[in-house]
Amino acid sequence: MAEHAIEHGTEHAGHGHVHLEYQPALPIPNGKLCLWLFLSTEIMFFAGLIGAYIVLRFGAPSGTWPGPHDVHVVEWMGAFNTFVLICSSVTIVLALEASRSGSAGMAKFWLATTLALGCVFLGVKAVEYSSKFSHGIHPMSPRSLLYDRADPYYVSAVSARVAALRSGLDERKNKAPDSFTEQDQQRLDLVSSLQANLVKWTETKVAQTSDQLAREGAIELMAYQIYPLHASHERAEFLHDQELREIAAETQAVTAQRAQATDEESQKALDARLAALRGRQELLPELKAMEHGLNEQHKWLRLPMKIPSGNMWASTYFLLTGFHAIHVAVGLLVFALILPVRLTPRKSHVLENVGLYWHFVDLVWIFLFPLLYLF
Amino acid sequence: MTEPTSSHQHSGHSASSAASHGNDSHGHGAGEHGHGGVGKYILVFLALCVLTSASFFTVSPLWPFHDTPAVGWTFMMAVSCTKAMLVISFFMHLIWEANWKYVLTIPASIMSIFLVLMLVPDVGERTLHYSSSRWLHAAQPRAAAAHGDHGDHESHGDDGHADHPPGESAGEGGGAASH
Repeated sequence: MAEHAIEHGTEHAGHGHVHLEYQPALPIPNGKLCLWLFLSTEIMFFAGLIGAYIVLRFGAPSGTWPGPHDVHVVEWMGAFNTFVLICSSVTIVLALEASRSGSAGMAKFWLATTLALGCVFLGVKAVEYSSKFSHGIHPMSPRSLLYDRADPYYVSAVSARVAALRSGLDERKNKAPDSFTEQDQQRLDLVSSLQANLVKWTETKVAQTSDQLAREGAIELMAYQIYPLHASHERAEFLHDQELREIAAETQAVTAQRAQATDEESQKALDARLAALRGRQELLPELKAMEHGLNEQHKWLRLPMKIPSGNMWASTYFLLTGFHAIHVAVGLLVFALILPVRLTPRKSHVLENVGLYWHFVDLVWIFLFPLLYLF
Repeated sequence: MTEPTSSHQHSGHSASSAASHGNDSHGHGAGEHGHGGVGKYILVFLALCVLTSASFFTVSPLWPFHDTPAVGWTFMMAVSCTKAMLVISFFMHLIWEANWKYVLTIPASIMSIFLVLMLVPDVGERTLHYSSSRWLHAAQPRAAAAHGDHGDHESHGDDGHADHPPGESAGEGGGAASH
């Protein structure tokens, strides 16, 4: 183009009429320039998202941001996906090299490999998303089971869920007793036990004590029994043992009262209290035996879970990985569109531009992986 | 009129490190193997794999700085920046490009880095500067934040709840506020 311009210029030198010619501001083809401009806006777009994540993560009340295992993030899956994207970056750059050196067949092979690797990435992402969804971790409230704090709202949410399960099972039992299986009966028994010895127990304890720490402790213990967080293990053990001691002491006291009680009214009340204490005492070791909590042991329960800053975590996680996945999907779409094209050296600029975009997608993941999986 | 064109061509040559292939206006087929080469790409690929395992190493039990997570975070970000530079330089061919690369990359990078750096002290570390009256309306009780301020896991038990054990907010939160 440059030589041609010089020739053109001298040819018309003496004629004196105005001669305009196109000069690129940057020594690159327009397509590549546009792509780089687009990428520089993309850098800022993802910087905004990552900045939001960093701010929310470090601005969260200290010690509350969930660790990877609290929210079913598997580090090696992220590492595997990083590896897949790095491989796909190599294959797309090899496709470009092959196309430039004239071997269109090899270029097509490497392009197809890149497409396949991108699909693997999205597949792993889908597996990760579905594991979060199956544990009740959703980015939005209608489906999300996450609660940030062990407070009365949390207790009422658990209470509502257990009551809904109970009434559902009861209704089925009454309407169609024939189809009510052994398993359903077991579920009904568990739900009834939870309603009395987990929810009602906690509600009573919260309502009766005026000590705020005791109230919080009761709710936290329930939250831990439903969904144990590693960080609160020690505290939950403490609360559990404390409660066992309290139950033992109260049982002794109530039994003594019951022996002395004369009127029927108070006998009934004391008997009810003794039954509640016994029920709780029987449930506690059962709950303790569930190493991963009620929700993991009985997935159908889907009880609300307390994960401090869990909603914020879910929002940022799904936002960042979701936008990245959209970029991956767009890249794959473009790969699929140019796959039928014969990638001769004249068309290698297409591969170059798509490749630049794809490397950028890889680049974003290079930052997302440590931020979301390892921090 | 011819002057700028030829000088432009000249500067294009001198700026690009591989003068043999020059800029794209020479066509795509000729002399494109002046840079890159499969060997170089494989080397970069290996380096990226090694760096990925290096950041993965920070979550392994062998990593010696689990008590101060900020060390691990800094290390991982340094590794990520190195990986990013490798990808940008070699896969995106930026080290072989002419000086136009700075026009596009530097402003975008500055803006994105500034955005993050300006948000961190303003929003990210806001609880470090809460007054005691502000703490009364905070979403979380102060004990957790005081614990983060000291970066000291043992201090939590002495924060006034003698009947509650430490460990509620143990884990990686210790350094979150001090970061």
